[in-house]
Amino acid sequence: MYAIETEGLTKIYANKKVVNEINLKVAQGSVFGFLGKNGAGKSTFINMLAGLIQPSSGSFKILGEQTHQRQKMGVLPDYSTFYDDLTAFQHLKYFSRLLNVKLPKSEILNLLQRVELEEAAHVKAKKFSFGMKKKLGIAQALINEPDILFLDEPTSGVDANAVLTIHRLIQDISKEGTTIFLTSHNLDEVEKMCDDIAIMNQGVITAKGSMQQLRAKYQNKLIVFIKHSRLNEKQMSSLRPQLEELANKVEWNQELTTVTVDGEWLIPEINRSFLHANVDVFRIEVDEPSLEEIFIKIGENQRSA
Amino acid sequence: MLAIGLREFQNLFKSIRSIIIILFIFSVTLGIAKLINNYKEVLSEVGGLEGDIYMGGLLLLIIGAGPLFVTSLSHNAINQEVHSRTIRFLATKVSREKIVLGKFLGIAMYWMVCILVASLLILPFTKGFYFHQFMEALIFILYFVGLAIFLSTLITKPGMTMFLGSVLAILLPIIGLWSLWSENLIIDLVSYLTPYYYYSVGEHIYTYVVLIFPILFVLGSLLLIRKKDF
Repeated sequence: MYAIETEGLTKIYANKKVVNEINLKVAQGSVFGFLGKNGAGKSTFINMLAGLIQPSSGSFKILGEQTHQRQKMGVLPDYSTFYDDLTAFQHLKYFSRLLNVKLPKSEILNLLQRVELEEAAHVKAKKFSFGMKKKLGIAQALINEPDILFLDEPTSGVDANAVLTIHRLIQDISKEGTTIFLTSHNLDEVEKMCDDIAIMNQGVITAKGSMQQLRAKYQNKLIVFIKHSRLNEKQMSSLRPQLEELANKVEWNQELTTVTVDGEWLIPEINRSFLHANVDVFRIEVDEPSLEEIFIKIGENQRSA
Repeated sequence: MLAIGLREFQNLFKSIRSIIIILFIFSVTLGIAKLINNYKEVLSEVGGLEGDIYMGGLLLLIIGAGPLFVTSLSHNAINQEVHSRTIRFLATKVSREKIVLGKFLGIAMYWMVCILVASLLILPFTKGFYFHQFMEALIFILYFVGLAIFLSTLITKPGMTMFLGSVLAILLPIIGLWSLWSENLIIDLVSYLTPYYYYSVGEHIYTYVVLIFPILFVLGSLLLIRKKDF
């Protein structure tokens, strides 16, 4: 059973398909990142799963059921506000009552401590900063210890410290076995946090898979940096023909050689070439394509198509 | 549903506007009761002084000003949550139906308590609790609670429901009272949709017919909210 399964999920606004027949499967216990630019349709998609937007067509299953599993779900919606007249503590108490979850005072305070809001427990939400509101948003999503957690842009607009707290929290929750589905336009965040990724553009998924799969598919070159002992003429003449045969491009430097190759299977060959030439290799570093590069590449592919 | 109802109920008691309305209802009800009490000898000579005449004062106040009280306090029961986006937290935790029913329940409870307290305040004059008059006042208020919930679900902007609610709260009593003497067919037909016609018949049972309207209004709201995107 998948945590999330969608089939042809579509949302149409004013004759425009904002989300266009999305078929997606998210494994239980995984951290799934939904990546895309602003307006790509990420929030509309997550809001359909969270029960905030009615799909125009298509279907979805959450934890194997075709209905919203509110008791098993936690949702941090984007662009949401809290009640001005309630404190953080009162919010969590009210939301727990909505879910029929009996949370004693100590557990509410623990939850606030988990999101580093314990000192603001009795402060009214209207006095909260944007980052504090995000943290409270995450706390309210965790009230029922959900099996699946939807986080829509959990770190957008928050300061660096709050980002770290939120990332740490997501990692902790993930370790507890909760499936996390997060949308973001922050490439680093998705790369750091997620097991699987889908990239969305103009309402359609343009790429999906694990980071390794995406790298293999969209990046066919690796840049290998070899830090070595200073090369003499004899070593150079031995190395040059071997490396030029293996690599697409070689940039020579006395103590650092940069080699561009088609795949990682060539790295041991390169290492052997240096050893044959009696060069001491101190360090080999491989520059893998970042998600940003993949993202740009997918964009380029789409434009050329 | 109960949690939403309870919060709505508590919020209504917290607002300044609601406190003013409660004080107004209590003071006018007590004032009318005292006035009747001062002239009880004259009144008993003309038509007999029944205890329900004191309750009549409260009922008149509810029929006259109740629509405006309800719409001014609860015109934005649903759409304020949508407008401020707090509904995004509610809708991910409870069904949309429970949001509407909870809101209706909370507002209805508030008015039930207000009318009950007003009825108890005049107990020293009435010397008894007049259940039928209490129910008449409550059912009348429920009509407008249902209407406020319906408008608040139908219209997204709280400002618009404030305006429309106030217009209807003034217009409906005028049409209702006009229809009592008018022979205009349209006015007559519209009057069947207001509670005034049923209250003018003079039979208690007719006032219970009015209960159909808040049920219809709430059902309408339930249908509308299912299709809404938050």
